[in-house]
Amino acid sequence: MSGDVSLSTRPAQAKPSLWARIVDNRDLLALPAMFIIALLIFSLASDKFLTTGNLTNVARQSVYLLIVALGQLVVMIGGGLDLSVGSNVSLTSVASSMVMAAIFAANPNDPWFALWSGLAAGMAVGLAVGLVNGLGVTLLGINPFMMTLGMSSVVFGITLYIAGGVPIYGAPPLHGEIFGFGKIAGFPIPSLVALALVALAWFTLEWTRFGRHLYAAGGNGRAAELSGVRTVPVRIMAYMICGLMASLAGLLLTARLGSGEANVGASLPLESIAACVISGVSLAGGRGRALAVVMGTLLILLVQNGLNLMQVGAYAQSIATGGILIFAMAIVRR
Amino acid sequence: MTLHATPVADTAVHGPVPTIETVGLTKVYGQNAALDHVSLRFLPGEVHVLFGENGAGKSTLISMISGANTPTSGQILLKGQPVRFESVRMARANGVRAVFQEFSLVPDLTVAQNITLGEEPALGPRAFGLANVLAKSAARSEARRLIDELGFDLNPDAKVNTLTRGKQQMVEICKAMRVRPDLLILDEPTASLSEHDSQALFALIRRLTAAGTAIIYVTHRMHEIPLIGHRLSVLRDGQFVATVAADTPEDRLIELMTGRNMAKIYPQPRADLGEVKLRLDKVTLTPRQGVEPVRDVSLTVRAGEIVGIAGLVGCGKGNLAQACFGLHRVAEGTIEIAGRAIQPRHPSEAIKAGLWYSPADRKNDGLALDQSAHKNMILSGLSFGPSRGEFLRPRRDARRLADLVRMVEFDADRMAEPVSRFSGGNQQKILLAKALVQDVEVYVFDEPTVGVDIGACLSIYRCLATLSARGAAILLVSSNLPELMGLTHRMLVMSQGSLVAEFDRADYDEHKILEQFF
Repeated sequence: MSGDVSLSTRPAQAKPSLWARIVDNRDLLALPAMFIIALLIFSLASDKFLTTGNLTNVARQSVYLLIVALGQLVVMIGGGLDLSVGSNVSLTSVASSMVMAAIFAANPNDPWFALWSGLAAGMAVGLAVGLVNGLGVTLLGINPFMMTLGMSSVVFGITLYIAGGVPIYGAPPLHGEIFGFGKIAGFPIPSLVALALVALAWFTLEWTRFGRHLYAAGGNGRAAELSGVRTVPVRIMAYMICGLMASLAGLLLTARLGSGEANVGASLPLESIAACVISGVSLAGGRGRALAVVMGTLLILLVQNGLNLMQVGAYAQSIATGGILIFAMAIVRR
Repeated sequence: MTLHATPVADTAVHGPVPTIETVGLTKVYGQNAALDHVSLRFLPGEVHVLFGENGAGKSTLISMISGANTPTSGQILLKGQPVRFESVRMARANGVRAVFQEFSLVPDLTVAQNITLGEEPALGPRAFGLANVLAKSAARSEARRLIDELGFDLNPDAKVNTLTRGKQQMVEICKAMRVRPDLLILDEPTASLSEHDSQALFALIRRLTAAGTAIIYVTHRMHEIPLIGHRLSVLRDGQFVATVAADTPEDRLIELMTGRNMAKIYPQPRADLGEVKLRLDKVTLTPRQGVEPVRDVSLTVRAGEIVGIAGLVGCGKGNLAQACFGLHRVAEGTIEIAGRAIQPRHPSEAIKAGLWYSPADRKNDGLALDQSAHKNMILSGLSFGPSRGEFLRPRRDARRLADLVRMVEFDADRMAEPVSRFSGGNQQKILLAKALVQDVEVYVFDEPTVGVDIGACLSIYRCLATLSARGAAILLVSSNLPELMGLTHRMLVMSQGSLVAEFDRADYDEHKILEQFF
């Protein structure tokens, strides 16, 4: 029974092989690895890819998805899912534009009032959609997938109904000037808003009791309840935060586009969930970090941008994006 | 140590050639050896008990023998021939089957479908593969035959998700017994079996050994060991300690397992008691599905007192404990916590009133397995107790937790690891630490030592004694009668939803108490 029976095969309390450690931590390594691979491929394929101008462009474009993905992150940590974020963005866009246009038309001397009313209306829409989602999932006990999928259809229907299928113009130009193209000290305002929201999300998730309760509710809801955590309000709050984030993205998009559009959000549910999952957010709840989601979002936008530069057509791009997302999830799945 | 290189034709004979032999078997995870050069011989016709604390390496050992895991180094010899099991399937093909505590049953299928799963009897030729038509009646009759043969009380048409854990365990054993294995591994098989079913299982084991099957039997229940075992091997911290006869006295086994001399298992309960902290007065629970009826229960627990509730599984003792915590509605009667009448509707109300309930099912009800020990421990403390506040202060909390961690004898260096990496005993200690982070005076512990090794049990007992010494009122619900007799001041026996007897510590008598169970 002495230790020298098979010295040659004994791993001397050694560290596991590099490969084993890579496989063990693949959910952490996958994102940076995919990032590097994407950068390599696209910079080889197009000499325009690695230019400051292009990368700035990617960063600016990623703002909207990033904000939505942060909301999605909050819901997913709590063990939920929000498929209605796209419709939510659309309804926010249309509703806020209509409010702004109506008030601005009635009172053209006070564009600020019209602007603030529109912003408030948009955020109210987002919160309301989130509240309904949250109530359905918690109090009625509907599966989040079905609840938010149904809500997505309801909200999109409302959007088309009130917009009548046409873009809504007539918002005060201030809206676009500030939230679409405005800059503070050289930084675009949408990016600053997004950065502020990232910081806020990070702080809320990592440093507040609400954040910890959210992780607990998603990690093991029953155990959280038995620890005195009221998980129902926590989860409703998560959906409301997600709704609010979606509406903020919708307001910024509207400002950028200059009109309220019903079809701006169609790709957001998939992309926001993908941005979360490739950043290690668990579909089962209880896991996920805000800063990783920033990386996940940038990766998705980088891929789309790279394919654009390689002049891949829109249809093929859709196929490629979806395929890459599925592949990415296969790597990071747990 | 001799290596048997010669193959042996006849294995049914009680020959000296082990059915399975491990030689220097080692498994290394990261920096730690979960199993360190363990060499054991499992003989045909022998029940070989593996004994050790959780984390001692028993699970690692059996997972490698059953093919679920591959060794880092060392060898497994099957009837003297070196083998390398790359998968559970391969081990099965070589006559090695394991029944683990975690079941491999499909909840929505029937007992018969589960038993025949993977090798369903088919109408057409084998080559049809998945396209074949199932011979359902053949599957049923095969399952029926197997169940009768094993002497279990099971309905082959019942859906598995309607069965109790004990019955599911039987289905699992049936599955394993479908092809007669040469080596059967049973991992705590009686943990969820009733007395009757345990006896049926023992009878089965005796028949199997008589026919030459080798059995590896993992258990924490010491009273079973002399009943069923032949030899017993003790593991500690991944290393082999000793192989002894199964009728070795219990205190000697505990000594071998823990490496400590067990002068006394149970701490002496304190003598002076304070005022009444928990009072139930004629409590009847609202009948609901999944809730055992509880009728007209009155009891009191005083400061510093440990009161036990004993009874059979299903007598309602667990539901009574949960009702104090707001998990079940009280139809009639009153609950008084620290002198105030309260009808808690949510655990948070009960905690605020000063009562904590520690659930029996740590994996489902107690802990978020993906999250760190620290996060699990502090969770309720963020709302109740000295760590409360809207914003987190992890460093301050870590200092607070350091005391609790010492009290429950948990390894303070492992606070950042996710709970799923810990053994059952350590998970139970985390659950116990959770109970200590808030200011409450009344603790209700529901099966605090279920599925926990003796070493962790002792830590938990010491912790309960410390709590009691600090003046906490403790209601201890347990199915482990020796534990109740060792720890409590008074014991109440529950049967079919009512309290039927009360014993003072001076009058404890195992037989008299057990008589009241039925």
